[in-house]
Amino acid sequence: MSAQFATKRLGKELQKIRNSRLPPGIELVSAENLEEWLLDIQVLDDNPLYQNQTYRLKFRFGSTYPIEPPEVVFVKLSDRPIPMHPHIYSNGIICLDLLGQQGWSPVQNVESVCMSLQSMLTGNSKNERPPGDDDFVRANQLRPKDIEFYYHDNTV
Amino acid sequence: MSGPRRSTPRRNLIADPGNPALYTNRAMARLKLSQWDNAIADCHECLRLAPDSMKAHYSLSQAHLALRAYDDALAHALKAHGLCVAAADKSLATITAHVLRCKMDRWNDMERRRVRETSDLEAEMLAMLGRARDEAVREAAAAAADQDEGTRREIGAEWDAKIGRLRAVFEDARPQKEKLRVVPDWAIDDISFCFMADPVITKTGKSYERASIIEHLRRQPTDPLTREPLYPSELRPNLDLKQACDEFLAENGWAADW
Repeated sequence: MSAQFATKRLGKELQKIRNSRLPPGIELVSAENLEEWLLDIQVLDDNPLYQNQTYRLKFRFGSTYPIEPPEVVFVKLSDRPIPMHPHIYSNGIICLDLLGQQGWSPVQNVESVCMSLQSMLTGNSKNERPPGDDDFVRANQLRPKDIEFYYHDNTV
Repeated sequence: MSGPRRSTPRRNLIADPGNPALYTNRAMARLKLSQWDNAIADCHECLRLAPDSMKAHYSLSQAHLALRAYDDALAHALKAHGLCVAAADKSLATITAHVLRCKMDRWNDMERRRVRETSDLEAEMLAMLGRARDEAVREAAAAAADQDEGTRREIGAEWDAKIGRLRAVFEDARPQKEKLRVVPDWAIDDISFCFMADPVITKTGKSYERASIIEHLRRQPTDPLTREPLYPSELRPNLDLKQACDEFLAENGWAADW
């Protein structure tokens, strides 16, 4: 599929979001050029790890979206920390099978990815980073979706 | 350089007149140059040599579409689509989009004509009634000079009421056609988010546009919902859904571009 299919589908996702609004705790910040979207998410239950915080997500879409997954990372800003989670590195890179080459499915979309991340945070009780976070953050040069994560603990 | 070349008879440019591919190649070049009739001639020549040439049907469809021969454009687009599916050709997404485009342009054309004919009819009927009214008033005045101003006004008012009713009838007919433009979810492919032209169903019972699901399966042979193994040979056309989509499109041609 060529780039125009990705553009068309993203345009429709955007139109749908603008017509029918996103679920609670998810907000579209910008989608000015269709290739890069920013969204804010919040965890709405009373999990003490994430209360009263807002997190910024950055989606980058390639010309093969939605056949290939988008690249999704948390972005750090003065008022937008990187959430504490054993599958989220301190540079914002997320280790989630849904976003990898194997776990992705073209019926996923921006909204469903945000909801998965919300529930990934909701279900977590460990106030920690992935093992080897320091080394990974210092040494990693790969794009998130090219990293072969070793899912050391699939219960989290 | 371009002068003499253009005047060269076109047959001379084909090195091997028995090779159908040369005609489709030149047809595509001529489409780019907007030489529709020449492109059509090349396509027909190719189809004479190779009746199942997908490229020839596709180019032919494009040329007919440009010339606003919508029925021919759609017929050849569908033929190209069928050949594309049979050959598992990689251009399925492009050809599917073209099929939808043909359907939409064809519908738009019919719609334009319908609107024009209706408004023509409305204007003619109103003019006729207007003339009839004037005549009735004139006749009443001529027939009986003793008729007072009030009677003449009554006759005029009667006709005005008729004219008003006719206007209302046309007015009532309008909003029905201008229905709310909403595409039902069942007609939308969950991968491309486009209106489905050729829906196929998987083992799990979910339908997708053929071009989209084939594209996904080429990358990863799994069902998008369940992640169970899924191969293109296991897809089946969803005929009922296709019919429903076609029927919806026949009434709402704009939806093809939703």
